[in-house]
Amino acid sequence: MADVTHTPSMTLLDRLDEAAIASAAPSQTELMRELRIKGRPGWTSNLPPSLAAFVTNPKGMTGVIVLLGLILFSLLGPVFSEYNPQRRAGKPHVAPSYEHVMGTTRMGKDVYTQLAYGSRTSLAVGFGAGLAAALIGLAVGISAGYFGGRIDDVLTFLVNVVLVLPGLPLIIVIASLVDSAGPLVIGIVLALTGWGWSARTIRTQTMSLRTREFILAAELMGERKWRIILKEIFPNMLSFFMGGLVLGTISAILAEAALSFIGLGDPNAVTWGTMLYWAQNNMALQVGAWWEIWPPAIAIMLTGAALVMINFAVDEITNPQLKASRKIGRIRRFLARRGRSADVF
Amino acid sequence: MYSDRVLMQVRNLTVDYVGDHSVARAVNGIDFDIREGEAFGLAGESGCGKSTVAFALARLTRLPGLVSGGEVRLNGEDVLKFDKARLKAYRWNEVSFVFQSAMNALNPVIPVSEQIMDVIETHQPDLGAEGARKRAVELFDLVGIPSKRLDDYPHQFSGGMRQRICIAIALALQPRLIIMDEPTTALDVVVQRDIIEQIVELKGRLGFSVLFITHDLGLMIEFCDRIGVMYSGELVEVAPAETILTDPRHPYTRALGNSFPPLTGPRLRMEGIPGTPPDLRALPQGCRFAPRCPHAMDICRSVAPELRAYPELRSEAACHLLN
Amino acid sequence: MTYILRRVAFYLAAFFVAVTLNFFIPRIMPGDPSARIIASFQGRLNDAQVEAIRASYGTTGSLWEQYIGYVGQVLRMDFGISTVQFPEPTSSLLFYGATWTLVLVGIAIALAFLIGTMMGIHAAWNRGGFFDSVFTPINVMLNAFTPAVVALLLFYAFSLQLQWFPLGRAHSTGLVPSWDPQFIGNVLYHATLPVLSILIVSFGGWHLGMRNVMINLLNEDFVILARAKGLSDRRVRYRYVARNAILPQITSLALSVGFLLGGALVTEQVFNYPGLGKFTVTAIESRDYSFIQAQLLLLTMSVLVANLLSDIANVILDPRLRKG
Repeated sequence: MADVTHTPSMTLLDRLDEAAIASAAPSQTELMRELRIKGRPGWTSNLPPSLAAFVTNPKGMTGVIVLLGLILFSLLGPVFSEYNPQRRAGKPHVAPSYEHVMGTTRMGKDVYTQLAYGSRTSLAVGFGAGLAAALIGLAVGISAGYFGGRIDDVLTFLVNVVLVLPGLPLIIVIASLVDSAGPLVIGIVLALTGWGWSARTIRTQTMSLRTREFILAAELMGERKWRIILKEIFPNMLSFFMGGLVLGTISAILAEAALSFIGLGDPNAVTWGTMLYWAQNNMALQVGAWWEIWPPAIAIMLTGAALVMINFAVDEITNPQLKASRKIGRIRRFLARRGRSADVF
Repeated sequence: MYSDRVLMQVRNLTVDYVGDHSVARAVNGIDFDIREGEAFGLAGESGCGKSTVAFALARLTRLPGLVSGGEVRLNGEDVLKFDKARLKAYRWNEVSFVFQSAMNALNPVIPVSEQIMDVIETHQPDLGAEGARKRAVELFDLVGIPSKRLDDYPHQFSGGMRQRICIAIALALQPRLIIMDEPTTALDVVVQRDIIEQIVELKGRLGFSVLFITHDLGLMIEFCDRIGVMYSGELVEVAPAETILTDPRHPYTRALGNSFPPLTGPRLRMEGIPGTPPDLRALPQGCRFAPRCPHAMDICRSVAPELRAYPELRSEAACHLLN
Repeated sequence: MTYILRRVAFYLAAFFVAVTLNFFIPRIMPGDPSARIIASFQGRLNDAQVEAIRASYGTTGSLWEQYIGYVGQVLRMDFGISTVQFPEPTSSLLFYGATWTLVLVGIAIALAFLIGTMMGIHAAWNRGGFFDSVFTPINVMLNAFTPAVVALLLFYAFSLQLQWFPLGRAHSTGLVPSWDPQFIGNVLYHATLPVLSILIVSFGGWHLGMRNVMINLLNEDFVILARAKGLSDRRVRYRYVARNAILPQITSLALSVGFLLGGALVTEQVFNYPGLGKFTVTAIESRDYSFIQAQLLLLTMSVLVANLLSDIANVILDPRLRKG
């Protein structure tokens, strides 16, 4: 390097006139304060990134809390009732009162008890069907994505067929041929018709993972295929599997409710759907017995709301563009304060 | 060649990326000039902020990016403060843009002719549809594409031709400055050369300035008049293309030069630059390059060096070693 | 063209899977399928009809011959005799119900798609603004409500309590179906609440879908380039963004047909609307197997046709799918 220690220089600060200095940006900390951005809570740093992102997402966590609340209710709710959900407990269509906190149905069964025990069945069926569907989807998706070729062709065709055939009519056909389609049967049928989305997502992810170097390296080293699947591919699929599981569970709960409502389920079973079915059958609304309809309806609506919120959160996490939307209002205001506007959108 | 008249002055430009829990300062108060008719290159490794600068100058900063301070002066007006009407006149008329990936830069569902003509019709409505089409044919001729393909769709062209189409669109309104963000990075070497030669020829003929962004220092030296080297959001050196590698002032520029193997000559042991660039969310005090600099002194770690001009060398550099 | 042909081949294959399932499921289920079916007629069949049912279910011919026979029946649209409306053939009931369901679901889908898409475009364009922060969550929440609950609520509020709308059915009794405006008006009046209940539950999905697709598009280079060119807002919004956003939305439209038919089932039940869904529910209660099986095939056909139409639309709208 040439010796320039004594060369006269001109700092560029001479070039910075007042206007340029005045327009200087606030420091990073000042900016964060102005935009009201807080640091990441410390305890999340121990979690894997996608989980950390989910946990700090208010919409997603609200959905999870609602779901947990419902689960808690199903576990503890029945404890508070001494009635049997399937037997008469009092006079028919008694309005909510001290003995019957949510009133009774047309047949005199206690609504609260039905709701509490029904929650167990509804959630169990939903979770069972959701888990089964997620597992089938996982198996099919990984196989199709990893093995490729003929196996992929056949499996993809299968997945496409399952996705395109309308689930509800098929379920109706199957369920109506079984003499009394209890919740278990409905659960099985839901699982068999609902694994399509999971399979497709996992297949795409597996395919993109498959071409990554560490998989190729493992194969070249002679690792056996099933070990590669178990140790390398499966852990990466975990987040997709969990996402599919949660969403699948909730949609199974809603589907069971709808199916029972139209009379496909076992009328003697107690689920949210059958409660609505009986309420509709017994013309509860027309008679004015709103307490027979609202409790199961609200339970179903809460489940649906949880689904939507978790979906929202998953969308935001997997799609970075959507995440950016949250700060936009504040950025626009920052610019407006300085007499400027956003460049693009 | 180029005149000494300044076309655009960038002063104290700062651009941040706003995250959920942090703010990353991608560009930190940089200053430079672009002169009329010159090809100014902005070089640096990935993530140093050069593309961010390009977008900021063209008023194309995407959220969550935020130009948090500074001025970009064109004819005395601050581009960053343009309101909607003035901005519209600025866009494409005075400054146009060429993106890195021509496939992504073209709308896949409308024909290429429309994509050239719509900008002409928007800014020069008195030409009418016929006039616009005539101009489109001229532009295609200019970049060497047969005009009978004017109504084809983007996916029907090869990569090199698509980039030429983008250049043709950039020239449509005869702007004074064309900003090119890595225009040849996505192309193979042979096509790269074609495109660069085309740009050089057009620039000579039409006299526009070019802000050329790339990480390929070798390419830049052949094509640009002056080169600015960026590191971690700051300009560390600005020098004429001829001298930037032969007589670098800043340790980073020197290390960059050492990272390029020469095509001819004896085989050399290559040195990379050890270490990684700093985290933009938590920048060190003092010189940002200090952790990786083989000549770092104590002052380097505590006080950030300013960009100083050295007129005899016709270059500028920011390094304590030079004082 | 080859793209369309491949899709048609797939849809035919899927349809045959449905037909095959329809054929095998009753034979797999425990019990004797033909006995169950004959029993559901409660003794109204004559001997020839009993024989015919027995024949198609296992006493004559091999499994393969029965299968071919069944496929032939399907292709001739002979779905047997309905138990509920004995001795009407199932197919006439099927098509009567299908027509009314088409009216209901057709109007509902069209409105939901238009309203939801328009709102989604607006929300995406002014991302983070008032409209987006307020209406996007609301619309999505509405989407979460089950059709059953919404239908019941509307029925309760507007039919029972306020009595603004009729208690059910597709048109007032005594009116003869015809094309004159008075009849059409009557039909629309009866269809208002059912359409509304499907609309409320589904338009939020279109809003969110369009908004998300647009937000992704707004970050694409070619849209940024369109802005950089200084093109008018209108041109950017429609020629660059919406024109590209419509492609995945049309695919979603086809996919949603399947779900919407499910929602219609519940709505028709609540409003006593004589559509396919209502008849299906009745068929379930009275174990009218021929109807249940027939509706599977009809609905499958509809979904496949909807998918095919969306594929054709995609080819028309997306030049990349045309060969060349």
